[in-house]
Amino acid sequence: MTKKQLISIKGTKEGLVLRLDDQCSYAELLEELAKKVSDEGFEGQAEVLLQLGYRYCNDIQKKEIINCVQQTEHLRVTKVQSEVMTVEECNKKLLENQSETYVGIVRSGQVITAVGDLVVIGDVNPNARIVAGGNIFVLGRLKGIAHAGSHGNREAVIAASRLEATHLIIDTVIELMTDELSVLSEHPEMECAFLHTNGSIAIDRLQELRLIRPNLSTFKGGS
Amino acid sequence: MGEAIVITSGKGGVGKTTTTANLGTALALQGKKVCLIDTDIGLRNLDVVLGLENRIIYDLVDVIEGRCKVHQALVKDKRFEDRLYLLPAAQTTDKNAINPEQMKKLVTELKRDYDYVIIDCPAGIEQGYKNAIAGADRAIVVTTPEISAVRDADRIIGLLEQETTIAPPKLIINRIRQHLMTNGDALDINEITTHLSIDLLGIISDDESVITSSNKGEPVVMDPNNTASLGYRNIARRILGESVPLMSMNVPKKSFMSKFRSLFSSK
Repeated sequence: MTKKQLISIKGTKEGLVLRLDDQCSYAELLEELAKKVSDEGFEGQAEVLLQLGYRYCNDIQKKEIINCVQQTEHLRVTKVQSEVMTVEECNKKLLENQSETYVGIVRSGQVITAVGDLVVIGDVNPNARIVAGGNIFVLGRLKGIAHAGSHGNREAVIAASRLEATHLIIDTVIELMTDELSVLSEHPEMECAFLHTNGSIAIDRLQELRLIRPNLSTFKGGS
Repeated sequence: MGEAIVITSGKGGVGKTTTTANLGTALALQGKKVCLIDTDIGLRNLDVVLGLENRIIYDLVDVIEGRCKVHQALVKDKRFEDRLYLLPAAQTTDKNAINPEQMKKLVTELKRDYDYVIIDCPAGIEQGYKNAIAGADRAIVVTTPEISAVRDADRIIGLLEQETTIAPPKLIINRIRQHLMTNGDALDINEITTHLSIDLLGIISDDESVITSSNKGEPVVMDPNNTASLGYRNIARRILGESVPLMSMNVPKKSFMSKFRSLFSSK
C-alpha cells in the first residue's frame, strides 16, 4: 500500500512551495516533514513558502513547523499561508476595517478611541483627543487633538469640515498647528491632513484626497 | 417634591457663589421655598455673601456626621420670612469629610420640604465637585467671556453629560462687558454658546454693585433697578418655566454711546 504523500514540494520562480496535508494528525505531519527535509538533500539557499491549507496552527505550532523546515541551512521560510483564521482574529480584522461613529461633541478632557476608522459627527473641542487605528473624519469643527493610524498605519488621513486642530498626529509623527501653516488660518474649511512622502504631515484641500490616497475609496470602477 | 439644582463652573472665581445666592434669593422673591447648600467645605463663602455668617451654629459636616438634625443646622434668612434657608459648609475640615452617597441622602431629604434646593459647588473636578453633583436633578454651568473659563466649562459639561441622573446642563454667562464684546476684545455670547453648544439660561452683565452688595451681605437681586439684578430675576423666571426673552444687548451699547456723547457735549 502506498502511503499518501503528506507533503508536496514544488519549485517556482520565487522559491519552493511546501504544501502540507491538512487532514493528517499534527504529530504525523511533523514527523514526515522532518524526514522529508533531511532526506531530500537540498542544495544552495532556497526560500520557502509554507502552505498550511485548512489546518489551523497556533503561533507555537507555526514556529515548530518553521524550525523543523529550517533544520537544514538550505531552506529559509519566508511566508506562511493559511486558509483559516480564528473567530477572534476575524473579529479583530473586521473591527480594523470597520468605521465607528460618534455623534455629539467631544469635550475638553474626553478621549474617543476607535480600532478602525472614526467618524465624529459634531465638534471636537480644544483639549479633547480622538484616536483611531485608521482614518479620522470629523463632520464639524476639529479644534482638539486628532491621532490617526495609531497602530502604525502611515496611510491614514485626518479630514474635517473645519480643520482647526491644535495637534495632528499620524502614526508617530506629530504636527503642532502653529501659525506657520498659513493654509489653515486662511481657510480651514474642508481640509485633510496626511503623511507626505517626505515624512512630515501635510495639509491639502479635501478635494485632493482622491489623488493623494486613491486606495481610500472602497468603490471600484464606476459608470 | 422639590428640585435640586447644582451651580458649577470648573474654574474658580467666575461667580458660582454669587449666582447661587442671587438665584436663591430671586426664587424666594418669587414666593418659592428655597434651601441653599454650600458644599465648599474648608472655603465657605455663601454665608458671607448672604450676610448670614454670624448666625451659623451647626454646619453641613455636623449634619452628615449626625451631631445635629438638619433643621437645626439650617440658617433662616429673616428678610424672606421662612422662604430662604442656608445650610452652610464646615470651615474646619476638608472636602473628604463627606461622600456623594451622604450628600445624595441629605439632598433627597431636603427636597421633601423645599421647592428648590440649590447647591453651590466648589471649583475643580475632585471630591468636592463629586459631592456637590451627587444629589442634583439639574445643573447650571457658570462661565465668563474668557477663554480659560470657557475651556473649563467645556470640561465640566463633558463630565456632567456623563451623569445619567442629571438633566442636560444649562449655561449662564456671567460678567458680560458689552463694550468689550462689541469691540471683539472678548468672546461674544454667540461664540460661547456655539462652542459649548448647550442651552443658554441667561446672561448677567458685569456690574460693580454685585461686588458692593456682596460685601454688604445683601444679594444684588434685592435691588430691582439694576441690570445684573434683572439678569438674575430673568433666570429665576426661566427656571420656573416662564419664557423670558434674553436681555436686550443694545441697552448697554446705547449707554456707552450716550456716555460718549455726554463726553463730547461736556467739552
